[in-house]
Amino acid sequence: MSSAPARPYGSRAAALLMLMLPVALYLLVFVYPLSSVVTLSVDNSALSGRFDNLSALGPDATPDGEAAALLADLGTMEKKQLGEVARMLNQQRSGFRSLIMSTGKEAEAIAPTMAGLVAFDARWAEPGYWAIIRENAAPITWKHYQRALGITLAEDGSLASGEDLYLRVMGRTLVITLQVTILTLLVGYPLAYAAAHGSAGVSTFVLAVVLLSFWTSILVRTTAWVVLLQTNGLVNTVLVGLGLVAEPVQLIFNRFGALLAMTHVLLPFAILPMLNVMRTIPASQADASRSLGAGPVETFLRVYFPQTLRGVAVGGGTVFILSLGFYVTPALTGGPEDQMLAWFIADFVNKTLNWGMAAALSVLLLAMVAVLVALAGLARWATARRKVEAA
Amino acid sequence: MSRVIFWSTVTFCTAFLALPLLLVWPLAFNTSSFLTYPLEGLTLDWFHQVLTQPTWVNAFLNSLKVAVGAMALALVIGGLAATGVILVPRALQVVLTGLFVSPLIVPSVVVGVAFAYAFGRAGIGGGYFSLVLAHAVLGAPLVFLSVLTSLRGLDPNLDLAGASMGASRSFRFRTVTLPLALPGFAAGALFAFITSFDEVVVALFLADPGSTTLPIALFAGLRDRLQPSIVVVAVLLSLMSLLFLALLRRLQMRVAAPKS
Repeated sequence: MSSAPARPYGSRAAALLMLMLPVALYLLVFVYPLSSVVTLSVDNSALSGRFDNLSALGPDATPDGEAAALLADLGTMEKKQLGEVARMLNQQRSGFRSLIMSTGKEAEAIAPTMAGLVAFDARWAEPGYWAIIRENAAPITWKHYQRALGITLAEDGSLASGEDLYLRVMGRTLVITLQVTILTLLVGYPLAYAAAHGSAGVSTFVLAVVLLSFWTSILVRTTAWVVLLQTNGLVNTVLVGLGLVAEPVQLIFNRFGALLAMTHVLLPFAILPMLNVMRTIPASQADASRSLGAGPVETFLRVYFPQTLRGVAVGGGTVFILSLGFYVTPALTGGPEDQMLAWFIADFVNKTLNWGMAAALSVLLLAMVAVLVALAGLARWATARRKVEAA
Repeated sequence: MSRVIFWSTVTFCTAFLALPLLLVWPLAFNTSSFLTYPLEGLTLDWFHQVLTQPTWVNAFLNSLKVAVGAMALALVIGGLAATGVILVPRALQVVLTGLFVSPLIVPSVVVGVAFAYAFGRAGIGGGYFSLVLAHAVLGAPLVFLSVLTSLRGLDPNLDLAGASMGASRSFRFRTVTLPLALPGFAAGALFAFITSFDEVVVALFLADPGSTTLPIALFAGLRDRLQPSIVVVAVLLSLMSLLFLALLRRLQMRVAAPKS
């Protein structure tokens, strides 16, 4: 009589009960921290909170009103707060530290007018300082993104292109990522082919090497390259021993070392997806093609290779996304000119404690990855649709 | 002709993949402190040095503690997520799977910044607890995927058979579904453990001097000065990975065996 339950294993109520804990934890411990990075990248409360009087001014405030508000704000700051404000403003324009510190110490003695401020320090007559002060009285700021994208605020408040250091870093990151992706595909393709279609012994051996490499930590494999490529390392010993070079050459802490180590470290991520696709291609197809008169090269190019493109795309995409955010390997094997976006993010957190910049660059890196993942999803959807239409 | 080119390419590529590690491991046993060939003699002194030096031993113990904690937490989160997800409607499944897998896609540096900032503000920044929490989030997607795969592979008729004999839902789940999906949980736990044990980027943002893990100590050592103890630690970490690969293979064999 009783019909079989519509869905095996349990009820919806049980599902919701089970999902409650993981969803709550994910939201609290993963989604919330990530979103706080986005807010952090535009958050200016650390500075604007110190300028209560300035923030309260309307857009049509007079210069004297602004001067009075600034002096009132500086006057209420304790010495430690003053130093903090001076440090943060100094990140945007050097020289700001001394201006804020000296003005802040004498805030009560200075006449609360623009003329009084300029008389105390002539630098207050420059609109550039005021533009930065006004910008930082607002609770939300785009200054980190402006700096990251090489845009500066001109003295009259208009936008202009400025120091493009981080744009160049992003360009370099993309170039290195592309190079590594191509190298891993070039080296990985024959290996995946051998693992998929080689004789039993060969395929087992190649697969074992790939899996061992995959399971050995990235840091350990990077360590191996650091040891091999150092000035007195094995590679140099061999090169000198064979008489190929007269004295040890610099193989590490440059682009060569970074590319070599990154290619090695990311290789398994390219091979495994290609291998999965190649395994599904029957060997009889090649025989059929050959029996119809195609040579081995033509068979490969026209029959085999097009079918493996999906694996190449998945493998290449995986390597590209992983490489984009790579930190450990380039940090240990590259030189100062080979560091990628991730290194600068870590540097801002560790050295200058500039969380705003670290957050802005993180958001940009995340956006690049998100665009790529979206493109990959779109490509998958498009191929699925084409298959449906063809059927 | 093309065969020769193909096989020399494969040989070259295999060597590129395998040789760096194979060449570096023996240097851990070299008498000389110079990390190059020819080996002057074999010794276990460097191993002895690493295993008696408090910095390395403490880092190892910290790594172990963090990895076990992260594994346990990831197992709960990922396991619950996977068993729950297969029960909900299709559209919700897609959304939730996206959420549960998302930590795999976000670059570790971004995760590091996010955790360091958010944990710091919540007052749990730095130290053992924050490391366990962060690594659990990184390991949970692996447990989730592993358990989900093994649950999807189950024969639904087994559950229906239980139902036809009058077993309640929760009883069927405990006595039929869960034991059958156990290898998925075990493989997921292994993934989560080794992910935490090898993780360095997020740990660099979160660890304080008291909770330095082995990868952090290795990273710092590499930046400082190359010495045999670094190679010894690399060898020990490789052995750990090897052990886990072996465990995983045994697990897969056990899953495959009853079917054949």
